[in-house]
Amino acid sequence: MRFRSIFIALLAAALLGLAAAQTLTVYSSVDEENARHILEAFTADTGVQVQMVFLSAGPALSRIEAEKNRPQADVWFGAPSENHIIAKDRGLTQPYVSANAAALPDSFKDAEGYWHAIYTNPLAIGVRTDILESRGAAVPTSWADLLDPSYKGLIQMPSPQSSGTSYNFILTVATVMGEDAAFDYMKALNANVQTYTQSGTAPSGALGVGETAVAIQFSPGFLKLIDQGFPAQIVFPSEGVGYEVAAMSILKGATNLGGAQELVDWMTSEKGQAALSAQKTYFMPIRADVSAGPGVPSLADIQLVSWDPGYAADNRQRLVDRWVEEVLGQ
Amino acid sequence: MLRRAWQELRIIARDPILLALIVAIMAALVVFVVWPLARVLVTAFQAPDGSFSLANFELLGQRRLYRNALRNSLVVGGLVGLVGVAIGYIAAFVLTRTNVPFKRVLHTLVMLPIISPPFAGAISILFLFGFNGLVTRQLLGLTNFSIYGMHGVVLSQVFTFAPIAYLNLRGVLAGLNPTLEDAALNVGASRWQVFWRVIFPLSLPGVASAFLVVLIESMADFGNPLVLGGAAFPMLATQAYLEITGSFNLARGAMLAGVLLLPSITAFAIQRYYLAKRQYVTVTGKPTASTSKIVSPGAKWLLYAVVVAFAVVVIAFYAVILLGALTRVWGFDYTPDLRHFRYVFAVGWETVKDTLVVAVLTTPVSGLLGMLIAFIVVRKRFPGRASLEFMSILNFAVPGTVAGIGYILAFNGPPLILTGTLAILVLNFVFRYVPVGIQSGIAVLRQIDPAIEEAAQNLGANAITTFRRITLPLIAPAFFSGLVFAFVRAMTAISAAIFLVSANWNLMTVQILNEVGSGRLGVAAAYSIVLLAIVLVAFGVINLIVGRGAEDATSVRF
Repeated sequence: MRFRSIFIALLAAALLGLAAAQTLTVYSSVDEENARHILEAFTADTGVQVQMVFLSAGPALSRIEAEKNRPQADVWFGAPSENHIIAKDRGLTQPYVSANAAALPDSFKDAEGYWHAIYTNPLAIGVRTDILESRGAAVPTSWADLLDPSYKGLIQMPSPQSSGTSYNFILTVATVMGEDAAFDYMKALNANVQTYTQSGTAPSGALGVGETAVAIQFSPGFLKLIDQGFPAQIVFPSEGVGYEVAAMSILKGATNLGGAQELVDWMTSEKGQAALSAQKTYFMPIRADVSAGPGVPSLADIQLVSWDPGYAADNRQRLVDRWVEEVLGQ
Repeated sequence: MLRRAWQELRIIARDPILLALIVAIMAALVVFVVWPLARVLVTAFQAPDGSFSLANFELLGQRRLYRNALRNSLVVGGLVGLVGVAIGYIAAFVLTRTNVPFKRVLHTLVMLPIISPPFAGAISILFLFGFNGLVTRQLLGLTNFSIYGMHGVVLSQVFTFAPIAYLNLRGVLAGLNPTLEDAALNVGASRWQVFWRVIFPLSLPGVASAFLVVLIESMADFGNPLVLGGAAFPMLATQAYLEITGSFNLARGAMLAGVLLLPSITAFAIQRYYLAKRQYVTVTGKPTASTSKIVSPGAKWLLYAVVVAFAVVVIAFYAVILLGALTRVWGFDYTPDLRHFRYVFAVGWETVKDTLVVAVLTTPVSGLLGMLIAFIVVRKRFPGRASLEFMSILNFAVPGTVAGIGYILAFNGPPLILTGTLAILVLNFVFRYVPVGIQSGIAVLRQIDPAIEEAAQNLGANAITTFRRITLPLIAPAFFSGLVFAFVRAMTAISAAIFLVSANWNLMTVQILNEVGSGRLGVAAAYSIVLLAIVLVAFGVINLIVGRGAEDATSVRF
C-alpha cells in the first residue's frame, strides 16, 4: 500500500516535470511541529516538496515586508487572519480564489481570495491543577477571576508586542468589557503576570514544566498537555473567548505559484482539513463537514466572542501601543 | 597635509598589488560596515512615507516605557559591569599571580561561558531557580520565589559576561612586572599598601576597559532579558528587538537601536581613545615568573575560593543543561530520555549543517582579513589609514540587532541583493567579528621589528609575499585567537543572525531561541549541548592546524 502511494507520487512528480521538481518555500507561523506534520501530509498527498522556515507572526510579517522587492518565500502559512489583512493592505500578497472556498463562512476567507483560513482555535486558560491545589488556590472560571491575589506571579501570557495570540486576548477583553475597562483590567492583571512570553505557544510549554500555574493562550497547547497526561485543565472563561483564524496567503512575486495554489486548494479541501485531526494537531477544522476528532471540544459548546476583522487590523498598532504604554509602562 | 598624503600615495603606488588591496578593503568596509549602519540611521529619521521626521524620537520623551527601559538597561549594564569585573579581576589575579592547584582546569572552566550558545545561562537559571526550579522549589521548597526581573537578568548576564572581563584582565595582570611589587615590599610597604597603591593603579586602565566592554555587551544583549526580564522589567535591547520583529515597526526599532548605539559608542570611544593610551606597560623583556607575594596565605585561599565557586557554578549550569537535555520533562518527569536529541537530529539536522557551513566559511576569511588589515594599518602609510582602522573596528560597538536590521535594509534591493543567501550571513559575521583579529594582530605587530619585513622586501619579495611568508608566521598566535573568536561567534551569534536566516540557511542559535520561545526547554538544552560539542571539537581542529604554524614561528629568533 505504502509503496504504491510512493509509486503514484513519483509518477505524478515525473508527469508534472519541472513544476513538481521546484520546491515550495513556506514561511510558517504555525508552530514548527504541527506545521511539519501538516505540510508532510500535503507533500504525501500531492508530491509537492515543501521547504519551511518557522517565524512567529510578527517576525514573519516584517521579514516579508523587508523582502517585498524580492520575495524569498511563496506562501505565508499560519498567523491570525488580521495579519493577512495587513499583508493584503500593504500589497504583499496576491489573490487566488480556491474552488473549495465557496462553502466556507465569511470569517474564514477573504472575499477577493487574498487569504484562506487553515484552522481555528478558541482562546483559553490552562491551569496546573496540582500546583493550584498545593497553594490552596481555586481553578479560575472567568477572566475576572484571574485578578485574584492568589494568582500573584503565577500567570504567563504572550506579549502583544510579538504575538498575535496576545492581541486576540486584548480584543477579547475589550469586546467583553469595553476598551477602557479592559485596559484597567489588564493593568490590574499585570501584577499577577509572571512574564509576557515572546511566542504565543510558550505559556503552555511553561505550564508543562511547571514554570507557571496559569497560562493564557489558544486551546491546542492545553489540549495536548491534557492528552499527554499532565495534571492540567482547560477553562473557557464564562465571559466569552475570542478565537483565532489561522490563515494562509500567497505572496506577491511567488516563484512557485502553481505549488502555492495547490497548497491553498489542498488545505481548504476535506482531505486537508481531515489531516488536522489525523496529525493530532488539536486544531479545529474550518469545514463543517470535517470532525475535529476525539478530545477536541466542539465550538458550539463554548461562549465565543467575535469582532470586525477590519477593526482588528486597523487598530492593532493603536491597541498594542496603548498596552505597551499603560500596562507595560505603568 | 595634502602633500604628505600625495607622497604616501606615491610610495604605495609603487606596489600596485598592495594599492589594489587597500582600495578593495576600503570599498568592502564602506559597503558592508558603513552603508548598513547609515541605512538604520536614515530609517530612524523617516516617517512611513519616507520623508524626514523626528516622530520616532519624540516617542522617547512621551513613552514612560522607553525611559524605564533605558534606565533599566543602564543600571543592569553598570551592575553587571561592576560584579563581572570584580569576579574577572579576582580570577585573573588568582590564575596568573598566585601558585594554586588546578590553574589550567579553572582557566578552562571560567572561559566556558564565552564559548557557549546564547540562552545557555538563562536556560539553566530557569531549570535551577525558576518557579519549579530544582533549587528554589524542589530543594528549598520556596513557593513564592520569582527569578523574573532585574536579579534574574543580572545573574545570567554576570554568568555570561564575567568571563569576558576575566579574559581582558588576564593579559593586564600577567603583564605587570613583579619587580615593582618586590621593590614596594622592600621599602616597607604593607601588602595592602602594595596592592592599593601599586598594583591596582597600574591595572586601573585595564579594569576600566574591561568594565566598558562588559557594559557594551550587556546593553546589546537581548536574549537574557527576553527570557528572564519578566512582566515588569523592560530593557532597551529587548524593546528594540520586539519593535522590529514583533510590531513590524522598522523605523521605531531603528530609533531604539540608535539610542542603544549612543552609550555603546561612547563607552567604546572612551575605551579606545582614552584608556588605550593609558595602558601601563611594565614589561621590558620576557615576563619573569611572577608569583605574587602581596597576598597572605589566608587571603590567597579566600580569593581562590571565589574562583572555585564561580567554576562550580559553571559546572552546575552545564550539568543542568545536559541533564535537562536528557530528561523527559524537567521539573515534572525526570525519566532519562533521548527524545530531545532525537528531535534535534531529526528536525534540526539541516540547521546544524547550515550553521557549520557558515562558521567554517566565516572563520578563515575573517581570520585572514583581520591579519591583513592589521598588517596594512601598522606597517603601511597611506591617506585614509585612520579611517580604515576606524571603519574596521566600528562594528565592535554596534549591537547585533542594529547590524542585522542594517543588512536587511541595505541588501534587499539593487544594486546588491543578498537576502536569503549564504553570503549575507557570512559577510555579516566576517565584518562583525573581524575587529578582534585586527586588534590582536595590531598589538602583536607593534611588538615585531619591521626590520625583518624590510629585509624580506630588500631581497625582492613584494608586499603579499612578505605578509604571507614573514608576517603571518610571526603573528600566528594572534591569528589563532582571531580564528577561534570568529568561529565561536559565528556558531553562537544570535542578535544579528535572527534577521538574516532564510529557508535555505537557518542557524542553530535561532532555532534555540524558537525552542525557548515555544517553551520547549529540553529541546533548547539539547541544541545547546550539540552546539557546545561542535565548538569544542573545532577548538581542537583549529589548534592542530594553526598550532603547528605557531611552533614554527617560535623558531624564528630576532
